[in-house]
Amino acid sequence: MNSRLLQIIALASIVTGGCGGSKPTNIDIVNDEGKSVMALDYRDFDKAASEMVQSMLGSGALKKKDGGRYVVATGRIVNDTMQRIDTDQLMAKVEEELMNSGQVVMTSAVGSGTDQLIHESRELRESEEFDQNTVAKRGTLIAPELSISGKIFQRNLRYDSKNQQVEYYFQLKLSDATSGLRYWQKESLIGKRGSNKSVAW
Amino acid sequence: MKSLIILCVMLMLFGVGCGPKSSDERVHLRSGLSGGSLGHNVVTESIKGVFEWLSGAGIVIDEAVMNRDNAAGLPQLFIAGHNTSSKTKRFRYRVEWLDADGLVIDTRASTWLPMSAMGKSPFQIKSVATRPQAVNFRMDTRKWE
Repeated sequence: MNSRLLQIIALASIVTGGCGGSKPTNIDIVNDEGKSVMALDYRDFDKAASEMVQSMLGSGALKKKDGGRYVVATGRIVNDTMQRIDTDQLMAKVEEELMNSGQVVMTSAVGSGTDQLIHESRELRESEEFDQNTVAKRGTLIAPELSISGKIFQRNLRYDSKNQQVEYYFQLKLSDATSGLRYWQKESLIGKRGSNKSVAW
Repeated sequence: MKSLIILCVMLMLFGVGCGPKSSDERVHLRSGLSGGSLGHNVVTESIKGVFEWLSGAGIVIDEAVMNRDNAAGLPQLFIAGHNTSSKTKRFRYRVEWLDADGLVIDTRASTWLPMSAMGKSPFQIKSVATRPQAVNFRMDTRKWE
């Protein structure tokens, strides 16, 4: 009886062992020791965002003389890579750190981070259904003093007959919205080399 | 055979510390640039490589300095170190900032960043805290995967 049971268990383990791929596992995003991939992954965005934020804050460009906070808007961040990238992958991290530094307040009234409801709620001024004392008055939005814009672009190069080189450039600029003067800018480069068979988009 | 070993050991002893020299200490002339010498040739380099491997030559941290001397007045950290090996050492580091209570400040800027130190060369790491309340730090390192 026992040997029969063992046979069934062994058979079942052989059958199930051969089925399907490896089990899905959660990535340890704090200490990820996984291999690099040719495309941009979250570690690349973390690296670029960390370098950008440290450089921007350390430059003093966001330090207001009177001790207050700058109103900053995120402008256009162009994705000029072959990948479908939501540029918020970079900017959400950058904006979060800038705000937590206490030197900046971001605006959702204009720019790529616009909250459409801010504008829609202003269309309620004519509506009798809404208590007009609770509707935002004219001239209450705060204009940005500084704007951040940038670009992510990619260059694919043939390294040798079997390998390719992919270069990803992250560029950010900080400009004064009134004067148009640029106070800070930085480029962060991430380079990868790998098999031609790997697809970098 | 015995005399060959003695010759190799002698060459190695002569060669230690006799790398290509620059007239200015701040300028580092790497081996192979100024041509071969008694202390710097294929034989001695190979033997030195074995000794380095045996003695565990690698990254050494010389100094860690923290100050607020940047334009923003934010805490910043400078780590000075050197690579005792003759080979380039690549590693990753992560700086975590601590508040007055010794607690880690949760920040997106604390991530694993790459660093490369060329053989027999000094290197420097700079990190800026993104929060003014940072008063101390801790730094972790790991191999470049």
